[in-house]
Amino acid sequence: MSGMKFVPLVLKTVIRNRRRSLLTLGGVATAMLLFYAVQAMQQGVRDATGKTGDDTKLVVYRLDRYCPFTSNLPQDYASRIARVPGVKNVVPVKVVVSNCRTSLDVVTFRGVPPESFDRGAFSHVNIVDGSIEDWKRRSDAALLGERVAYRRGLKVGDRIDISGITILVAGILTSPEPQDQNSAYVHLDFLQRAGENQVGIVTQFDVTVTDPSLLQATAAAIDGEFRTDREPTATWSEKSFVARAASDVLEIVNFAGWLGWGCLFGVFALVFNAIVLSVQDRVRDHAIMQTLGYTNRLIATLIIAESTILSVAGGMIGIAAGVAVTSWGRFSLSVEGLSINIYAGLGTIALGLGLAAMTGILAGLVPARQASRRDIAACFRAV
Amino acid sequence: MAFIECRNLTRTYTKGSTTITPLDDLDLDIEEGSFTALMGPSGSGKTTLLNLVAGIDTPTSGSLVIGGVDIGRLSRAKLARWRGENIGYIFQLYNLVPVLTAYENVELPLLLHNLTRGERHKKVAAALELSGIADRHDHFPRQLSGGQEQRVAIARAIVTNPKIIVADEPTGDLDRNSAAEILSLLRRINVELGGTLLMVTHDPKTTQYAGRTLHLDKGKLLEKAPVAEAGSVALHELRPGGAACPE
Repeated sequence: MSGMKFVPLVLKTVIRNRRRSLLTLGGVATAMLLFYAVQAMQQGVRDATGKTGDDTKLVVYRLDRYCPFTSNLPQDYASRIARVPGVKNVVPVKVVVSNCRTSLDVVTFRGVPPESFDRGAFSHVNIVDGSIEDWKRRSDAALLGERVAYRRGLKVGDRIDISGITILVAGILTSPEPQDQNSAYVHLDFLQRAGENQVGIVTQFDVTVTDPSLLQATAAAIDGEFRTDREPTATWSEKSFVARAASDVLEIVNFAGWLGWGCLFGVFALVFNAIVLSVQDRVRDHAIMQTLGYTNRLIATLIIAESTILSVAGGMIGIAAGVAVTSWGRFSLSVEGLSINIYAGLGTIALGLGLAAMTGILAGLVPARQASRRDIAACFRAV
Repeated sequence: MAFIECRNLTRTYTKGSTTITPLDDLDLDIEEGSFTALMGPSGSGKTTLLNLVAGIDTPTSGSLVIGGVDIGRLSRAKLARWRGENIGYIFQLYNLVPVLTAYENVELPLLLHNLTRGERHKKVAAALELSGIADRHDHFPRQLSGGQEQRVAIARAIVTNPKIIVADEPTGDLDRNSAAEILSLLRRINVELGGTLLMVTHDPKTTQYAGRTLHLDKGKLLEKAPVAEAGSVALHELRPGGAACPE
């Protein structure tokens, strides 16, 4: 017996019980939207902090300092770092953030020497609008990460004042690195002079090593080089540096993970409740179908199919809304000038839909079992 | 050998410490193609007997052999399949599925059979036509009168061309005119389709449509009326392999 011919029957049951179905779908969609949002934050954390065997980036920071305002290192450390074995290139970076607090819309100014772009330190970025030459020509020019440009509605040629720093947009860049996507790259000396004059002082050094396997040894060598200096350093792999700086936020995000699973339980409870009530309402209908020859197993399968359809449809709506919100807003959770993008890929979408389907099946099991075990004659006597 | 054979048929229900015996050691034979009316006061066991014959209830003891099959010995799954192939049930309160149209209600039992959509359509159209409700095929039960709902229920009961049609007070909820129309329709179906029809009724007037009337009281048979000859004019549309019906 082909099961497909029963699909329209299940769909009619869902569609024609409109109010119940819409309420259930609304609840499931809301819960799955929250679940997706939490998953998107966690995905962002994994992308920003997850270490891989190919990592070649180090961040050299002032020892015992935890924010860009207090990490002040002499710019001339750059030449000494460049001489450490294993170092491929060094970029002195001055970091200024538009907002010290944790926010979804922080612009991180990164002042770098213009020649850094010629030395391969930014080979991973792609200029999608404007040009590096335009950026080099003007001291107040900025290359904006795509997320910043999108959030602020900025395009090449726009002039804007952010937290007292006035810049001209010379280009928009894309990058696989979350930190690039939320930054405004400006000339180093421009940023050093933008507030109180800090010429010769940088926040950190971004270091690229020649071989991923040398990452830890090179970090130790750099710190050893400056151990006895007035401004000693602490060198981290870039992913570890983000994880350390954003540790408070990570705790919150990890806690939010539990909320995500709570949302999933909410979906289960909602669908379970809807199906239990629906099955109770339709005791007579199921008895009729059994009278017509529908087996217990078939009745149970139809009920599980109904709960699965409700759960998956609600999940699709919620996840689609989540994708729309995160794509439209391109939010990034920023702390201490470091960014965690709120974005989830196809894997998270598939996970959400899979969990929604599984939840629907589980939610339908008990009502299906109850409905299929009822005695037909007793059902007719009871209604 | 009769088509339906009840031997020492007993059904008891236990409610707390009370045991109720609506059918008590019943012996009964019903011939194939007959139209039998079951009468008796409330609680006499009419509906219980009907439910046992329809396979939606199982005997506590005794045997119930229908067409050579002892249905009391079938598993739940086999009994369900047996119902789907052999039984058409007409309820007093119609019992249509409210979210399905008249057409979809009639199609519901056919989904269990290996039929194409086109084949199902032909059978549903024929059953609705025979029941005189074809013009309301796209109406939901709430949009139909009681008599119309019962016609849809009858179409649903006959659409699989079952060997037995059981009707539990099919006119109990209808006005006099509608009741007469439904009874005439049942009589016609019995004659034209040749199936065995077993009907529970409280109304003595309705028994004139039946060929045989049985009286039950306290789970026992009181009297038997002579079996009347029932015609058997084929209605080829509803029979397996029958000619196509107009769509």
